[in-house]
Amino acid sequence: MAYRVIVIEDNQDLMEDMVMTLRRSPDFEVSSTYKTANAAIGPAAMFNPNLFLINIDNEETLNALPAFVDMFPGAYILGTMIQWDPLKAQEALEGGAMGCILKPFSAKEVLEYLQLYSMRGKRKPAKLISFFSPKGRSGRTTLAALLALLIGEKTKERVALIDADLQFGDLPIFFDLDPKRTVVDATQDVKLLTPMTFAPYFSEIKKGVSLLSSPDRPEYAELVSPENLVEVVMMTGNIFRYVLIDLPAGFNPLSLNVCRISDLVFVTTMINSGFEIKHVKKTMEMFEAQKDLKRSVKTVFTRVNPFTEEERLKISLNLGYPVDVMIPNEYRMISIANSGRLSQGLPADTLLMKSISDMADKVIAEGR
Amino acid sequence: MATMAQSSIQKTSVIISVFSTSPGIGKTIVAINLAAGLANEGYKVCLADLDLQFGDVLNYLKLTSTNTIAGAQRALLDNPEGFRINDFLIEYSQGNVNFSILPAPLYIYDAYQTDVQILTNIIHRMDYFDFVILDLNSMFSSLNLAMLDISTIINYIGVIDFLPALKNYKIGYDTLLRFEYEESKIRLIENRADSQKLINGKDVERLLGEPFYHKLPNDFPAVNKSINAGQPLMFAAPNSRLTESFYDLVGNYTQRQSKVAPEIKTEGRGFFSTIKRFLGF
Repeated sequence: MAYRVIVIEDNQDLMEDMVMTLRRSPDFEVSSTYKTANAAIGPAAMFNPNLFLINIDNEETLNALPAFVDMFPGAYILGTMIQWDPLKAQEALEGGAMGCILKPFSAKEVLEYLQLYSMRGKRKPAKLISFFSPKGRSGRTTLAALLALLIGEKTKERVALIDADLQFGDLPIFFDLDPKRTVVDATQDVKLLTPMTFAPYFSEIKKGVSLLSSPDRPEYAELVSPENLVEVVMMTGNIFRYVLIDLPAGFNPLSLNVCRISDLVFVTTMINSGFEIKHVKKTMEMFEAQKDLKRSVKTVFTRVNPFTEEERLKISLNLGYPVDVMIPNEYRMISIANSGRLSQGLPADTLLMKSISDMADKVIAEGR
Repeated sequence: MATMAQSSIQKTSVIISVFSTSPGIGKTIVAINLAAGLANEGYKVCLADLDLQFGDVLNYLKLTSTNTIAGAQRALLDNPEGFRINDFLIEYSQGNVNFSILPAPLYIYDAYQTDVQILTNIIHRMDYFDFVILDLNSMFSSLNLAMLDISTIINYIGVIDFLPALKNYKIGYDTLLRFEYEESKIRLIENRADSQKLINGKDVERLLGEPFYHKLPNDFPAVNKSINAGQPLMFAAPNSRLTESFYDLVGNYTQRQSKVAPEIKTEGRGFFSTIKRFLGF
């Protein structure tokens, strides 16, 4: 059955091009076309449309997206734009569009995007979750990986893991992958990419959960500009509902910029010498000093031993901040990660998996 | 105080950097015990904490200081002529062992403001020390590369207990070679060498194509004592195998020929005098 399409476009040439393209395809039936959102919102209902192509280069139609979502809750809404604009794409998702597509397009492209975006999950903006650690050796990477797998399993929505620890990223080893393309390639190409051409940069590690790998040589890290990495993360959010980013240790332009756009930052620490608590304190103060940010910053302590509420209290008194998440030790973890079998996870009844599962539940419940 | 300063030849310090590509594997412990060991043999030593954001040298030694690299950088910018690096150092002193420390900045913001060129300049101004030990962090940053460039010796530390750690060690070593650091300058040092682990040391050496220059045994209780006491191992755990191993490592750098109990000489124990003694002058 063909999609019944409403096209909203104020540029006459583009409109004619789109309509012609759609009419030639048996998969689409152009129900009506409008120049403005105002003109469309009432009459469109007469055609019982199930697909809207809405020009979001125009501020007014972009802002009208929520009205269309209200009026046509069962219809798919794609924002159309001439050039990929990450901020507009973000606004379109916030307005309730399922995603965006560049125009002009072919009918096949529209079908492919509908498929890509419907796999993504709920029609809401992506939840960006960064994993920060002051010095590293914090359990950050393992936690990010297991949390990604659990969120994917629980929500059935698509989850991306980005290994942004550009010099010494460990995720490809954990999942026994030897990817052809990495986050460095993505940052080099991002200005020319669209969600559709970007999607193949990811390797699927388990159903619905995919990895964008780190490069295999540390000097490639220098090729990555923080701005481009931010664009890569934002574009990832168009294909995946949850985006988990494993950051390089410490404060640097890359980690700061990605934290800036994140909804949630987990400051992850493993206590070894005991000085780590001082580092987390400094880190939290640094994040607190950047008041312009809406994201929430949470503390996570891994391999907490003894795994008790008394210990939580002890750490938080030392720290001067609450301990938001505690993860216990699990001795099998090392051999599992060593053998590249992390995607199979651990038995769900282990204390470690239970803790991370609780963490996943909270992340999901917070919504976005 | 034994120094090489009496020599008529213009001397420069021996700069020994302590570097790794994995965090949390004992760089700071190595740096502190190298500094203490060299000081114990009568050399004038400065330990610079170049893990600027999260340096632990002062934490380990239970010291506090408002003198930091950040202050030194400001002073050098404000008044290059009047700048004396000595004003920004603090002293560690225990028994007969004394060495200077250039502490990391107190605040992350200050760490963020540091300039590689200026820091290099500051390290160069330490050339009145016999040895300058640089405690780096575990990245190929522009600061670390600049410091590796000016280092006489790079102590490249690894703990090979985990596959990603081995991968990072190998990649880091290959990268150092690709960046054209001479092989003779890079000293591969395995830390926690005899701890229970899944990866065999011989396999690691085969993978690296190079044997370890030195292996430091695992002695967690001794390190713990050292941290709790805020003292180098030679004081906190004098009988540990690890302490002994550090003594041997220091001996390699001071050309100490035989194992004699360390005693503090007041003069004539510098590099050249040791060589002279060895050659029978």
